[in-house]
Order: sequence, then C-alpha cells, then structure tokens
Amino acid sequence: MTKEKVNTGVPGLDEMLDGGLIPGRAYVVSGTSGSGKTTLGIQFLLQGAIRGERVIYVCLDEPPNEIKRNMRSFGWDLGNVQVFDATPDVMNYDKTPVRDVSTERRVLYFKDVGDEIRKTPDYSPVDVTINTIQEVLKQEMKVRKYSRIVVDSLTSLRYFYIRTSEENSSMISFFRLMSDLGVTSLLTVQLPEIAKPDVEVHMSRGEIRLHKWIDGRGLVRGVTVEKLRGSGHDDRLRPMKITDKGIVVKTLNPVKESPENGSDPTVIQQSSQGKPEPVTAAPSRDSAPPAESNRDQTSTDTVSEKAANGESKDSGGRGA
Amino acid sequence: MNTPDSERIGTGVSGLDEMLGGGLIRARPYVVSGTSGSGKTTLGIQFLHQGVKVGERALLVAIDEPPSEIRENVRALGWDVGKIRILDVHPSTKSFSKRVSVVEVAAQRTVGALREAGPSAKAEALKQVSPEISIQSLQLMLKQELQDVKYARIVIDSITSLKKLSEGMEDTKSSISSLLRYISESEVTALVITDLPDPAELEPEIFLCRGEIRLHKRMVSNRIDRFVTIEKLRGSDHDTLPRPMTLSEMGITVEPRRKISKASLRTLQAFTQYAP
Repeated sequence: MTKEKVNTGVPGLDEMLDGGLIPGRAYVVSGTSGSGKTTLGIQFLLQGAIRGERVIYVCLDEPPNEIKRNMRSFGWDLGNVQVFDATPDVMNYDKTPVRDVSTERRVLYFKDVGDEIRKTPDYSPVDVTINTIQEVLKQEMKVRKYSRIVVDSLTSLRYFYIRTSEENSSMISFFRLMSDLGVTSLLTVQLPEIAKPDVEVHMSRGEIRLHKWIDGRGLVRGVTVEKLRGSGHDDRLRPMKITDKGIVVKTLNPVKESPENGSDPTVIQQSSQGKPEPVTAAPSRDSAPPAESNRDQTSTDTVSEKAANGESKDSGGRGA
Repeated sequence: MNTPDSERIGTGVSGLDEMLGGGLIRARPYVVSGTSGSGKTTLGIQFLHQGVKVGERALLVAIDEPPSEIRENVRALGWDVGKIRILDVHPSTKSFSKRVSVVEVAAQRTVGALREAGPSAKAEALKQVSPEISIQSLQLMLKQELQDVKYARIVIDSITSLKKLSEGMEDTKSSISSLLRYISESEVTALVITDLPDPAELEPEIFLCRGEIRLHKRMVSNRIDRFVTIEKLRGSDHDTLPRPMTLSEMGITVEPRRKISKASLRTLQAFTQYAP
C-alpha cells in the first residue's frame, strides 16, 4: 500500500486490520442491536477529530440529542464532530402531502445539538429522500473536506428512505457516492439474530462484524474482520470489551469459546450468534451432563417447535 | 456511568429497575417482548400504575383485548387502576358496512378512565362508523388525545396486532418509525408490546426502540419457569444476565441478584441468541 492507513481509534482493531482501513473506501460495521456499532462509529470519528480531521456523523436511527447523551458515559467530547440529523420525521397523513424537498436540514456540530429531540415542524414534515441525503453530503463535501464519515445506520436508510423496488440499485448508488466522495466511511448495518448476507455487505470494501452472546460468565463480546479488500487481515474472532473509555479489542489471544473453524468467517458468525449449533455446543461447555436435564424440557410457548428441534440432535435445520 | 435520577423513570417493578441501572430513560420508546402469557400486559399495566402513583398521566392503547376485559383482569390483581386512561382501538368494533377516512376515525376515538370501561361501552356506536385501525390512524388518534392531555407514559398493547391490522394498507416500516418518532417528540415514555421477535427478521420497532425487555416463559422440569432479560438499553449500563421473575396476584416481581437455575439457562441457550 502506498497510502497510509486510517486508524479506527479502537485499540486492537487496527492490528486486526493490519494497520487500519484503506483511506477513501466504504466499510460496513455489522452486528445485532446493542453490539456496539454506534460506539465504534463515534470512536472512529473522534480519532479523526483528535488528529484535526473534519468528520461527520449522519444520524438515521437515533436522534442526535440521544446520541450525545448516550456517549456522555464515555466522557467523550463530541463537540467538533459534525452531525447531519437525517432521522425521519413524523409523517403527516394529510391528503395533500407537501412534496417540496426542504433545504432546512443542515449539518451542525454536536456541541450545538440541544438536549431535546428535534420537533417535526407543524406545517409540513420535511420530505427527506435518499437523494436529499446524497445531495446534502455532496454539498457538504464541497464546503468542507471531510476525511471520515459514519452513516448510522444503513439499515434505516434502506428501510425508511428507499422504495423496495429500488433497493439494490439505490444501495449501489449510495456506495458509489461514498467512493466518489473519496472519504473513508463506516456504514453500520443492523443484523437480525440470525444473520443473512445482504447487498450492503457485498458492496462494501470491508466488513467489521461485532458479536455478542451469553455464556456462563455473562455477556461476552467479540469482533471479526469478515473481509478487507486490498489488505491482509486477522481472520480470528477476537475478544472485545466496551469499557468506560470505549471499545477495546484484545488481539493477543482469540476468544476461548470461539468455534475453532476460524478460516471461514461465516461459520464463526453463525455459531457465535448461536442458532445452528447451540445445543451440541452449549451443554458440553457447561460441563454438565446434558442428557437427563434435556429430557424434561418441553415448552408451552409458541416457539415449542423450535424447542423441539433444538433439543434433538440435528439442530442444523434453522437458519442453515 | 451514572446519570441524574431525574432522567430515569421507574417501571413499577423494583427488581427490573435495578436491572435497568435505575429505570428507563425518559421520553424514549422501549419494547417489551415475550410469548403469549409471559406477562407483557401485566408489566405494561404495572408501568402505567407506577406513573399514576407518582402523579403522572398514563395511557393504555388497548388493541389486543377490549378494555372491559383488561379491567377485570387487573382487578383480579387488586390494583386500583382507575386513573389509567385507556384508548380503545380494539378491532372487535370494526364492521365492514362503511369506510371512513383516517381523519374521521381520529375524531371517533374513545378514551375513558379504566374505571369507566363497562362491558361493550361504546362498541355499538363504533360499530356504525367502522374505523379502519392502522398504525397511521393510531398516530392521528394519539395526536388528538395528546393535545388534550399531557401524558408521561403510554403503553401500546400490542404493536404486533397493530401491524397485522395495517398490513396491506400502508408501509408499516415507515408508519412505525413515524409513530415512535411522534411519541418521542411528545416527550412520552412508551412501552411497546410485541410478540417474541423472529430471530431471522429485523423488525423496525425492535431496532428503533432504545431498549428491549424480554420476558421468557419456559417449561423446565414440569413447571413454568419465568425470567427476564434486558436485550438492549441505549445510553445506560444494564444487567446482562437473565434474572428470575414471578407473576402472581401481586403482579410481576424480579429478583435482580439471583441467577436463574442451570436447567433454565440451558433451555434459554437452546433457542435464543444466548449461545454458544
């Protein structure tokens, strides 16, 4: 590589990425809810801000006032991070919707974000589309040369701004825009508990996946680099912690509970998310004889079928 | 990671508040998920009851059950819930004779104190206007209601039914986003009740909510075992272990210091994300 790599700001993760991210490319950070995607994104931006770079956070899930409040627990100063509040407005179900795309949305610094949620204007909600968002970003890039951008989340962009029929082409065009802008971007993708690959992941130049699950000790977190174009990377599941100073990844030794087949990342993903092989895996790790306790287990729930499947030997059916 | 207490509100279940690191952060939407019979509605009522006790206004949006039944069920718990207001959007009042526009439906809303909810109170009147119940019309109804009364707490029971009723009529993803946004902007803390989410699907209400409390009910060694997990809670520390819960005539209690039994943990691990 001729260019210097971009640091993510997460201790340990850069090591996994063989020094960091290649500048000017779009990367995906994926994980289930609560796995730390937003925290990772903010940490990535702060790292840039500390180095004097211009950085911008595009909010689509949670409003900026809540992000600001949530990040307070890390003691981070988000003041110099710019934020573009693209959270969808309350819809106004009038018969004659006002269609003009507003120019009201603007980018501001986190320090100027108030404590309360932005209120939908009374007269007409702002009709933001994916095009609006793209236009704003293009404009902003002209005015200020950003070097880092986080879009949180791409999933919301897809759910709330893109028509189903245009889903894939819109996503592809969004990735295209990101690379045209020449900015290093982290795009967060929300995964269901059983993950299936989606277009975002294929389009990205790399994917960092965050995992969490529970074992006997409580909540365990891990991180994998699923792909990284044009660079070598760590192919093992590494333990990760969210401390009061942010995310920290340990690279010296991989997570002990991780499934052994480290060469195939999708296998790691599936089993650490738990669905396909928990039954064979879980009791043996518990170091308790599984047989007699399992016999009694039935379920009155609607998920009883799943339970029945789960208790039988071949649990591979679901999600395989 | 502590936050000022004024920011938090109690759920009415002290053990659960402890798991949540002091309660829910105000003016945000949360999900309560679980299978049927796991105690979701009871938790919802308890949450509203707690609000009423501290002098707040509380609203129950009843979709799954008619208000009169809810009242009876709650009476059995021995609570005085007369002050909880209830928005009756139970679809039994729906008929197919005439379609009314969404805006008119909003004018037809019925809100009464839970005390007043009699058997089929306004069912007759509503039958004639046949409102189409949907996520959109609920947002409009809430808008009217919130103009009159400043609520601090709202429970929607359940969003799963509401989504089913709205299917085909609207883009449910966007309407749910809009409804939750509306509730946030109105500075109301909301509990949104859902069925156990399909682990292979990404439901918008789940990822838009700022927290998820999941109630589990499992058959373990010939008896029903109940426990509760906090699946997520934005901007706050929270308990990451499952904790035992009881559902009795006193309502829900949670023991935040006790671990669940090994057998229960194994059933939980067998078909949830809590594995390997």
